[in-house]
Amino acid sequence: MRVRTSSAALIAALAAVSLLTLTYGQIALPLADTLGALTGTQSSDLARQIVLEIRLPRVAAAIIAGGALGMAGVLMQALFRNPVADAWSLGLLAGGQFGVALTVTAAAFAGPAAVSFLTIFEGPSITLAAAAGVAVAAVFMLALGRRVGAITLLVIGLMLGFTSQGLTSVLLHFAARAGGRVYGGWQDASFAAIAPASLPWLLAPIVIGAAAAVATAKPLSSLLLGETYARSLGVRVTSLRHAVLAATVLLVAPVVAFCGPVSFVGLIAPHFARALAGTARILLLLPLAALGGALLAVAGDAIVHAPWEQHFLHLNNILAILGAPVVILILIFSPAVRQWR
Amino acid sequence: MLDLKSLAVGYRSAGAPLLSGIEVSADAGDFICILGRNGSGKSTLMRTIAGLQPSLGGVARLGGEDVASMRPGTRARRIAVMLTERAFNPGLRVEDVVALARQPFTGWEGRLGDGDRAAIADAVAVMGIEPFRRRYFNSLSDGERQRVMVARALAQTPRLMILDEITAFLDLPSRVEIMALLRTQAKEKGQVILLSSHDLDLSLQLADSVWLLDGAGGFSVGAPDALSRSGAVGRAFDTDGIRFSPSQGRFEVSTSGPQPPR
Repeated sequence: MRVRTSSAALIAALAAVSLLTLTYGQIALPLADTLGALTGTQSSDLARQIVLEIRLPRVAAAIIAGGALGMAGVLMQALFRNPVADAWSLGLLAGGQFGVALTVTAAAFAGPAAVSFLTIFEGPSITLAAAAGVAVAAVFMLALGRRVGAITLLVIGLMLGFTSQGLTSVLLHFAARAGGRVYGGWQDASFAAIAPASLPWLLAPIVIGAAAAVATAKPLSSLLLGETYARSLGVRVTSLRHAVLAATVLLVAPVVAFCGPVSFVGLIAPHFARALAGTARILLLLPLAALGGALLAVAGDAIVHAPWEQHFLHLNNILAILGAPVVILILIFSPAVRQWR
Repeated sequence: MLDLKSLAVGYRSAGAPLLSGIEVSADAGDFICILGRNGSGKSTLMRTIAGLQPSLGGVARLGGEDVASMRPGTRARRIAVMLTERAFNPGLRVEDVVALARQPFTGWEGRLGDGDRAAIADAVAVMGIEPFRRRYFNSLSDGERQRVMVARALAQTPRLMILDEITAFLDLPSRVEIMALLRTQAKEKGQVILLSSHDLDLSLQLADSVWLLDGAGGFSVGAPDALSRSGAVGRAFDTDGIRFSPSQGRFEVSTSGPQPPR
């Protein structure tokens, strides 16, 4: 019941913020024009162009990516049994970025043919490269997570993030010199860079990942009690781990590939979901975390693209202002974190 | 209902098994205490019977079925465990913890049916944990947590319940209460309950049967009285400092033993 009420409230909020950012921006449109453009009824060509071609892909990317990060956060916090785990904080996004940078650099040095191949098959190739990077980072962190505590893992994840972001920028520097001008400005998180044609490449893996997340939700809930209890409840723990990792990679890799390292969304959305649902059952948390993540992403994007005097605010800065205090509160007050000391 | 046939337990890497050639059976309704000093193999034996660890030889059968070859889901419907391993879980409430016991019985969504809710309500009432049902599991005291974990095992409605040192954090009245309550459960529900404990007195008073591990690979089974009178309890636990007195049924501190350092 609480889940349904909360979902309805989140959907309403998401619709309102989306409509707001579709309507207001550098050019403010009358609300009627936005609605007209969206529904395909009467509207000016200009309004249709602004809403459908410029703003809608951005908002759609924010909703899809935010939702994916929220769900991935739920999966990772359960898998790592760590309340501050998420794709960004544990370095998975940075790993994915590094994977893409390596691929782009390799193509740049391989010659123009490789670069044009990469450009033509941009969607699948950078998603695959990101997936490889995310998967390597995830497997490494999971192995490490069995040896160190939650907070140590968080610090290591953030440090790995810095390292691979540094390496990424160095790599891309050399890639640019070698003639590959691809993805130069892509190091910052943004929902605005995605081409409308790439939206299906963003969405498809995430839909499969979401289905996998739902399928693993029940056994993953019992993993919250620990591995032995999960096994005593009939869960095949090793295959469950693999399935959850696969779902996480599917959810996260396309986000890195098309939107960059979006911070904080995946970390705090699961906490809002738990607070709203009043339970830790994964299946109930997934929709709430997806909606909460989408709302946070769209809200952050709306602030970035509000009609400011001067441009540009960075998405991750806004998300940090919204998200970092929440993380600080979690670190101070969460009983789950205190237990690790 | 539970039959161990020349069961050997231990870790393959350790070379020789901790215990071997265990032959014992238990009937429905038996409340069995496993006694032995630290490191005598209690936990390993219990984990092996629960199917959480492979045996090094022989079989453990529950209702005629080999536990090791049961499908995980089937095993989870028949055997509940409570272990010394700390259950750590961000954001789990007490009612979530108890409800997880019903997972082996629910569909893919884990949605609880009427039967599941009844089993949970029953376990919650029996263990008296209703007052902190909505609290976070992590915020409970050690004693409260143990009550919750026992309730979780009860809610799994198993045929065999395996409980490893569950009363370690409880005060004496609570220990007596929980052990007596488990004994009653075993009788009422026709379950076999295997419980390991360091509470020798209490175990010898309440158990239908005692499995005694002497720490040197020896395994003896019997009624509590018979084991203490035969001197088996003494052989398993006596040290220079304490001796088990079969006539009194309790330990005596030996005054001639080594003195505590000053």
